[in-house]
Amino acid sequence: MTRWFEDVNAGEVFPLGDHTFTRDAIIAYAKIYDPQYFHIDPEAAKLGPFGGLVASGAQTAMVGQRMMVDALFAEADRLRAAGEEPGVGGPSPGGGKIEFKAPVRPGDTLTYSLTTLGKRVSASIPGWGVLSNQITATNQRGELVYRAVFASFLKLRAA
Amino acid sequence: MPNPITANRRHYEDLALGEVIELAPTTVTKQMIFDFAREFDPLPFHLDEAAANASLLRGLASSGWQTLGLTLARLSAGFLNSIASEGGLGFTDLKWKRPNMVDDTISGTATISALRRSKSRPASGIITLDLDVRNQRCESIMTMQLANLITVRHPERMPMHELPYDSPSGHEGAQP
Repeated sequence: MTRWFEDVNAGEVFPLGDHTFTRDAIIAYAKIYDPQYFHIDPEAAKLGPFGGLVASGAQTAMVGQRMMVDALFAEADRLRAAGEEPGVGGPSPGGGKIEFKAPVRPGDTLTYSLTTLGKRVSASIPGWGVLSNQITATNQRGELVYRAVFASFLKLRAA
Repeated sequence: MPNPITANRRHYEDLALGEVIELAPTTVTKQMIFDFAREFDPLPFHLDEAAANASLLRGLASSGWQTLGLTLARLSAGFLNSIASEGGLGFTDLKWKRPNMVDDTISGTATISALRRSKSRPASGIITLDLDVRNQRCESIMTMQLANLITVRHPERMPMHELPYDSPSGHEGAQP
């Protein structure tokens, strides 16, 4: 995925791997970024809407970003090992729809996946293209828990 | 049985369209940027000042996800913990409009832009917040909409509105 813009094909699916959400990591994240009782207090959470502790939805998104970046580096390493020069990525201008579809509970293992939905040459930044990427996460029961569509900048080889 | 934790908080009936929630300021330091990037977004331009200066960001800036996280932290502490929140459904139209540069101070507002009943959860409502996060120069750096579930105190007293929300999004699997 750290490829050049020209080398990315719409519709390609990249598995990003698995991540298990531990009770401690759920609480540690939420104490800083989302201190609602059903994210930080296992006892109080039993009385709440989920009947127990659940991860902040944003945490599933942040972990997805980390999984994607790790996959970018792995792809760059693979290209270098094959004697090719990896492409250059840039920051994201944002996302269209980011959905938390089902709760993530302590011990759940999410499988993340990235799909490039489309690509276009940037009209505003010469030498760069924009990808439309979708990240999904499903839990160990195969339920979709997270889906996000967002844009990413990627450099043109021809630039 | 009413939830004892949220019984005395504001419920769906207590909220009004147009209410503006102020989000307290946060200054993002170099250390905060590096710490967050190492954990969630270890791209070179968030971890190294030379790489940052050479990037499209033209200097060290926080990950957009960090700007989002810091904003939600303020929203949770300042608003969601004062209402009968039942969890977030998601975000739409997330725009990172400008980089949040090192040592900038961000603050913002969350405006209630929609209130509707959930079709799939009769005792819940859905609140939509329009978030606008700005730096100390009043430049908008991030905007988005956030949808959150909230308990309806007296669902039997309020007729359901036939509004086109509550698509299959949301915590469909949540069964207390």
